[in-house]
Amino acid sequence: MQLEIRNLTKRYDQKRGLTPTSFDVHKGELIAIVGHNGAGKSTLLKMLANWIVPDGGTVVMEGVDFKNRAAVVREIGFIPEVPNLFDFFSVEYNLRLFAALSRAPLSRVEDILGEFNLLPFRKSKVQALSKGLMQRVNIGRALLADPPLLILDEPTSGLDFEMTREIYRLLNVMHEAGKTIIFTSHRPEEIRNLATRILVLHEGTLVFDGPPQEYFQSEIHERLYAS
Amino acid sequence: MMKNILLLALNDLAIAYKNKTFFLILFIPLFVFVSLSLVDGNNTPASTIKIGLIQDDAYTPEFINSIKASSELVVVTWVRNEQDGIRLLKEHQIDGMLIANSDASGRLTLQVVKKDAFHTIAIVQSFSALQKTAQGTSPDWIANISSLNQGGVQRETLPTWILMLVLLIGFIILPAQVAEEKEKRLLLALLQTPIHEVQWLIAKLILGMVLIITAVLLLHLLGKFGPVHLFDYIVLILVGSYCFSAYGICLGFLCRNQASARTLGVIFYLPHLLPSAMSDVSQKLTAIAPFLPSFQLYEPLQSILLEDGRMADMAFDWIYLFLLGTLMFYFSYRLMKRRWLM
Repeated sequence: MQLEIRNLTKRYDQKRGLTPTSFDVHKGELIAIVGHNGAGKSTLLKMLANWIVPDGGTVVMEGVDFKNRAAVVREIGFIPEVPNLFDFFSVEYNLRLFAALSRAPLSRVEDILGEFNLLPFRKSKVQALSKGLMQRVNIGRALLADPPLLILDEPTSGLDFEMTREIYRLLNVMHEAGKTIIFTSHRPEEIRNLATRILVLHEGTLVFDGPPQEYFQSEIHERLYAS
Repeated sequence: MMKNILLLALNDLAIAYKNKTFFLILFIPLFVFVSLSLVDGNNTPASTIKIGLIQDDAYTPEFINSIKASSELVVVTWVRNEQDGIRLLKEHQIDGMLIANSDASGRLTLQVVKKDAFHTIAIVQSFSALQKTAQGTSPDWIANISSLNQGGVQRETLPTWILMLVLLIGFIILPAQVAEEKEKRLLLALLQTPIHEVQWLIAKLILGMVLIITAVLLLHLLGKFGPVHLFDYIVLILVGSYCFSAYGICLGFLCRNQASARTLGVIFYLPHLLPSAMSDVSQKLTAIAPFLPSFQLYEPLQSILLEDGRMADMAFDWIYLFLLGTLMFYFSYRLMKRRWLM
């Protein structure tokens, strides 16, 4: 078992947030979290990424509580929906900065630039890149420390078909490399093609946890996409 | 077309409301009104003047009698000699010292800390009125005014410029930079690495201190002014830049975006700058200014730069600045740990 989530809670108001939620994540799983806007998907991911302080509950990764941020931070790579890079600096500068702060060897920067086809853009300022390229840099940045767990918040949101396919390819490569991946999505085909397990959130409550086959035959899927 | 313009204008107004620009619009006139009401008007009651007289100097009987007759207006402190009087002036125990000229003409030299301070004006006005009442002649008791602050207007205004620079960086530049890192989620990205929150805060403190020290250094180089007690001055600038950098970082944490940070920055900048910088020209502001942290920087700046003061005599000021900076640093840390408005 890689991740134990117990009664994780965050309330913004009566409807928004996450009610006490518990589930486990096993090594090598590729989990899709689905639900309507405001269902609590991003809140859940941001709590796992330490972006939001939970109101209650615990997250333990191989025996280490997430409250001990320093102990687990190198084990998690979080890729937010909107790339958060120093956009007035170059791609290479960003990767070198985060490599240094993540205590990753600088050779990882070259590896990432190569793996993500970013070599032609290494000197380009991030603000001059397309959203797809920015997202590639963003994913590359998250992989600098080679974390075993990757968390992606709507990784293909706003991307064109080609870039979406590229992100799918990268997710598959990372999954085959043994990484555990949790991502949120609104796209049924994305969930069907990628996920090995699906969690459905509705108004902050976990209402489904099971394999994709079961999910696509369930009433929950029908209701989710009918409404 | 008009509908679109109206819609866009309403949208801009809504944005101005959301990012608190409206607070600025309300705050600035309100602050100016309050400040103007605090600046001494024509009907301000005369305050008591604390004047030093030298024991062995030959003051005219008319002068001494006039002072005795106006004991509610003038409080006299007899000093042994000029040096003793200058010491009391530096310690702000007296507002001025009257020295009798050696030619026995009865004319006096007024020794003050600063020529253009309201104390100096008050002394000259009071003694002119006394002489007119006593002798009915045009005032000529005070024939000369000598200031402890040497170097002219350029040097005398230096503490104000330095205070302005420190507050500008502390309240306008730093909060906006912190808020930008929050707004663009860059701070959260940095917190995805093993850095500790305190490390990020210290880095921001260093940025603020480097900016302040560079600006102050440049001002000195361009003006070719230097303090007599350089070490004391460096310590004061370090403590002051620490305090106001920490203050600015804390303000940045209270804002979600740059626009809010700029607004909040101005709201803090003006009340810290004006009462301290204008304390020399108003009795009321002199009474209010000591409650502001900016005054705890401004007063030692004046003392070190203009009166050759020493840090040892200003222990309260720099300990106050250091403690306030540390308190602000701690608040920033708590807000950062709570991921406040991130």
